[in-house]
Amino acid sequence: MIQNKPNKIAIFLVILFGVSLLFVGTDGFTAYTAETARVNKLMKENPVFPEVTLEDSKGRVYPFSEFKGKYVLLTFIYTACTEVCPQLELNLSEVYNQIPQKYIGEDILFLSISFDPTKDDPETLERYRYYFDSDGETWRMARITNEAELTNLLKEFGVIVIPDENGNFQHNSAFYLVDPNGILVEVMDYKKIDEAANKVTSIVEEKVGE
Amino acid sequence: MRQPLYGLTLYIFLMLPPVATLAESVMAIHMHMQMPLFVIVGVLMATFFQRRFSRLFAIWNGNGIPGIILFMIIVIYWMLPRTMDEALTIQKIELFKFVSLPFLAGVPLRDSWPKLGVIGKNIIFVLLSVLFSSMAWLYIMTPIQLCNNYLIIEQKTLGWGFVFQAAGIFIYFAMALFIDKSDYE
Repeated sequence: MIQNKPNKIAIFLVILFGVSLLFVGTDGFTAYTAETARVNKLMKENPVFPEVTLEDSKGRVYPFSEFKGKYVLLTFIYTACTEVCPQLELNLSEVYNQIPQKYIGEDILFLSISFDPTKDDPETLERYRYYFDSDGETWRMARITNEAELTNLLKEFGVIVIPDENGNFQHNSAFYLVDPNGILVEVMDYKKIDEAANKVTSIVEEKVGE
Repeated sequence: MRQPLYGLTLYIFLMLPPVATLAESVMAIHMHMQMPLFVIVGVLMATFFQRRFSRLFAIWNGNGIPGIILFMIIVIYWMLPRTMDEALTIQKIELFKFVSLPFLAGVPLRDSWPKLGVIGKNIIFVLLSVLFSSMAWLYIMTPIQLCNNYLIIEQKTLGWGFVFQAAGIFIYFAMALFIDKSDYE
């Protein structure tokens, strides 16, 4: 019984340590997976879209700053993908259709960036865009040929791409909204189409109203 | 007593960059082999600390409960999908893994286990098998990729690993309930 008191203090301290460890480790019980933590962090830090050179499905080459002054809703894909990307792009086309026509092209552009530049040349991207009714203008599909630029972009945006044995990639997916100054402002769940469309519309409306 | 020496050797071996990288490249090995081995390192090295700081352990972990709670906390922490990911991408978290599993889980486990009564031990067995079962359910059933660094198929493999661990612990627990050890002594 003499040992009782230190033991109780120890139990208390250990539990306190445990709760704080789990609190810190999950950002205050909000992020149990690295993906949630990544999205939360991106939304807090708002990284600037790094300068990259795009080559789109029409073979045009230009820097990302070409889109300055417009919002860009973008996704990361590779065309050989059979799992997430078709769903991701299909959902993106849904968002495209839900956003008022008057804003498209004027205030907002859509962009699908391929992270598999070796396979996804302009011809492949051109074929791929047909499947999703992308017009190649207001919704472009492009690759980044410079490997260093691509790696840097994926790192900045926290996109982790793991190649598997069959030449496929597994990767985390989301809709990314970059504002007219090239700053990442929203990362949205690509499965919640309506929510994303409403959010993007209201952000664009707000900007146009200014 | 050469156990601490064996523990130290295993510890250094596990931390060698090629060994650590290899162990972490497969999700199931990362969670079900590397991490338990680090706990075993602590268990082996525990006698060294127990001799050195015998009074400290006697006072602060007299009934073994603080130690076993600490062990459970560290085990739970390393089961979060996020910590597995961050151990790969953030160096500080990896370092914390190398330190926490042996010294905050392994050492207290060895010090606490003999001090716990039958009921205490049974509670831990049941808690662990429930915990591992729920982890199995999580990793097998979830349709989304929980860890950015591992494929979904690896995630399912990990889940099945949890099934066997949970079953193993539970079978041992059930066996201990029905078998009277003194019959065999």
